Amino acid sequence: MSAEIFDVCIIGSGAAGGVMAKELCEGGAKVVMLEAGREVPPSEFLSHKWPYELPYRGLRDEKQVPFYQGDISKSIAYVDSDHVGIDRVRVLGGRTLHWNAVTLRYAPRDFREWSLQGIEEDWPFTYEELEPFYERIEQIIGVCGNDDHLEILPAGKHYLPPIPWRCSEHILNRATRAMGIPLIAVRKAVVTRPYDNRPTCHYCGHCMDGCDVGSIFTTPDCMLPKARATGNFTLRQNALAREILVDSEGLARAVSFIDTETRTEQQVKAKIVVVCCSTVESARLLLNSRSPQHPAGLANSNGMVGHYLHGHLGDSISIYLEELEGRKPFNQDGATDHVYVPRYNQLQGKQDYAGGWGIQVNFSSYMFPHHATSLPGYGFAFKERVRKMQPGFLFFGSFAKVTSNSQNYVTVDPNRPDAHGIPTPVVRFRFSENDHALWSASNQGMIEIFSHLKGKVFPSFGKAPSGFASHEVGTIRMGKDPRTSVLNGYCQARDVKNLFVTDGSCFTTSSEKNPTLTIMALSLRAADYIKDQRKRGEL
Amino acid sequence: MERRAVLKLVALTALSPGLDALRAAAACHMEAAAQTAHAPDYELQFFSEQESQVLDQLMEMIIPADSHSPGAHAAKTNLFADVMVFTGDDAVKKQWRNGIRLMDEEAKQSSLAGALQKAAQNEANPQTELEHFFVLLKQMTVNGYYTSSIGIHQDLRYLGNTYVGEFPGCTHPEHQG
Repeated sequence: MSAEIFDVCIIGSGAAGGVMAKELCEGGAKVVMLEAGREVPPSEFLSHKWPYELPYRGLRDEKQVPFYQGDISKSIAYVDSDHVGIDRVRVLGGRTLHWNAVTLRYAPRDFREWSLQGIEEDWPFTYEELEPFYERIEQIIGVCGNDDHLEILPAGKHYLPPIPWRCSEHILNRATRAMGIPLIAVRKAVVTRPYDNRPTCHYCGHCMDGCDVGSIFTTPDCMLPKARATGNFTLRQNALAREILVDSEGLARAVSFIDTETRTEQQVKAKIVVVCCSTVESARLLLNSRSPQHPAGLANSNGMVGHYLHGHLGDSISIYLEELEGRKPFNQDGATDHVYVPRYNQLQGKQDYAGGWGIQVNFSSYMFPHHATSLPGYGFAFKERVRKMQPGFLFFGSFAKVTSNSQNYVTVDPNRPDAHGIPTPVVRFRFSENDHALWSASNQGMIEIFSHLKGKVFPSFGKAPSGFASHEVGTIRMGKDPRTSVLNGYCQARDVKNLFVTDGSCFTTSSEKNPTLTIMALSLRAADYIKDQRKRGEL
Repeated sequence: MERRAVLKLVALTALSPGLDALRAAAACHMEAAAQTAHAPDYELQFFSEQESQVLDQLMEMIIPADSHSPGAHAAKTNLFADVMVFTGDDAVKKQWRNGIRLMDEEAKQSSLAGALQKAAQNEANPQTELEHFFVLLKQMTVNGYYTSSIGIHQDLRYLGNTYVGEFPGCTHPEHQG
C-alpha cells in the first residue's frame, strides 16, 4: 500500500467524507479514506438497553461510549472561553452514527448576511447555485417532510411521507397557529417507507443512541457501500491523520497517519487530499501540517486557519400539558422529533439583533420523568403527580445563530500532545453582544409560546448562553475575500489547489438551521468540481 | 441523560477531567453490568450497612409503595445510590456521608420522618446543610427509582423502546381543533 498513489485521500468518514467517497469513487477515482476511529457495527450499539442494564443507569452517557475511542474526549483544551463544548466522537461514520438526522436547507438570505444585514460576510455563492445540490443530496439520503412554502426554509421536491404528529404537537399547533407562528412536520434523514434498501423507521425513539436498522442516514450504512461497489474504495480504520505532507511546490502529496492499533506511523500518497474531520479536528490537522512551504500550517498564508469558530447556541424548556394529564400511558417515542418550529422572528418586524432561532420539539426521551426532580414535595402525592403528568410532556430545544468572529479561534498546543504525540486543539471562544441578545430573545420566545398553553412549565435555561450543540462550523472558511478566507466556493484551498475541506469548517456564516444537510450539499458540489477538474487534467 | 443535556454537561465540565474518567470507568464496567444494584448479592462499596438502611428508609418515604406500584425500597434505590456515590468524586462522597449523619442526628430529635420533613422545608431555596442534602437525596431517589425496572414498567408503565410497525400519531379530534 505504501507504494500506491491514490487519486484522492479523504480524511474523515462523517457526513462530508461519506459524500466525497461515494461521489469520487463513482466518478472513477481511486480513493483511500482514513478514519481515526473504528467501525462499531449496529450489533454493538447500546441503543435499546434499558437503563437498569447499564452500569450507571444511562445517567453517565454509557450508551455513547462505543462512539468515543481512545483519549479523544480529554485531548482538547478551552482557554478564555464561555460555555462551549465540542462533540469529540471518534468512530467510522463520525457524528452520523448518533445524530438526530434533522435536515434543513439554508434559506437564500442565510448566504447573504453582509448584503442583507450588514454583518459578517456573504458566502461566495448564492442559494440558487447550491439548490441543485440540496435537491440531489436529499434524494440520495432520503428525507421525510413536506414543502411548507416558507421563504425561511426552502424545500425539496421528493420528500418521503412526513411523520404523524403526536397529541402534544397538535395541542402545540393550536397555540402557534393563534400566534401566527408556523409549526411544520420535521425534515429528517429518516426513511418513512422502504428506501434505497433501507427499512422504514420503526419508531423506537432512540435515534440519537444509534439507529441499529439503518433507517436513519449514516455514512457506513448508506454511502460507504456505494463507494465499495465501484471497486475504487479503500478504507483504513484506526488511522489517525497526523499531518498532510507537501511537495517542493507546496502541493499536498501524502498524509502521514498513526495506525492506532499497531502504534506505528504510516503514510498514504494521493494526488488530491480532501479534509473532512469536523470543524475543530480539520483546523487542528492543517495547523499541525507545517513545512517550509507552509510555515504557519497548511494553506494558512493569511493566518486564517482556525479562525471564525462559531456554530449554534441554544437552551431548552419543557411543559406538561394539562390536557394530557392523567391519560393512560401510550407509546409516544416515535422518531424523536416529529415537528419543527422554523425561524419566525423575521415575521415580527425588525429586531435589535441579527439572526434568529429555530425550535426542535420533543427530541427527548419519554422514558424518564424529567419533571420529577423539579416538582416540589415527596411521598404519595408527589409520586402520583409525577405519574399523572408524564403523558403531557412537551419539550422545546432552541438552536440560534452565533455570529462568526475572527477573535474566536482554534489553535494547537505542542505542549499538550495526545496519546500519539499529536498537538491537541485549543479553543478560544466568547459569545458576542448579538449572541447574548439572541439568546435572551430565543428564551423569551419559547416562554411566550408556552404561555399560550395550559400546563406546568419547567424552564431549564442556563445562566448564560452555551454552545455549540454539536453544530460548530467556520474554522477553515470559504469566502470571496482572500484575506479573510482560506477556501474558494468549491471548498478548494486558495494556497493549495489539490487540497479541499468540505466539512463544517468551510462555512462562511451559520444560520439557525442545523448544518449537516448543507455540509453534504457543499461536499456534493465540491465533488462535482473535483470530478470536472480531473477530467480537464487540472487536478 | 439526553444528548443536549450531555453536550451542555460537556461544555460545563470542559475543564474537568471527571467526565472523562467516568467514561473510562463506564467502559470498564460494561462487562460488569450484572453487578448493578439489582443483583441479589450486591455488596455495599461505600455506605455502611447502617447508612444504607437509613437511606433505604428515607428513599421509601420520598417515593413510597402505593396501590399503583412498589416504591424506592423495592426498587433498591439505596443500592443504586451506593454505586453512584462510590464512583463519584471525594466531594460527593463527603456530601453523602455528612448528609446521612445530619439526618441521623435530626432523627434523634423526632424521628427519621420528622428529619426528612424538616430537611424538605426549603426545597426551592435550600439554606442549611440538611436542606441541601434533601435536594441531593431527592434527585438520587428520583434517578434511581425511575431508571429501575419497577419505576419504568410498573409505575410509569412506559410503552416505548420497542419496535412499532407504524406510528399512528394522534387520533383525537379534540386535540386537533
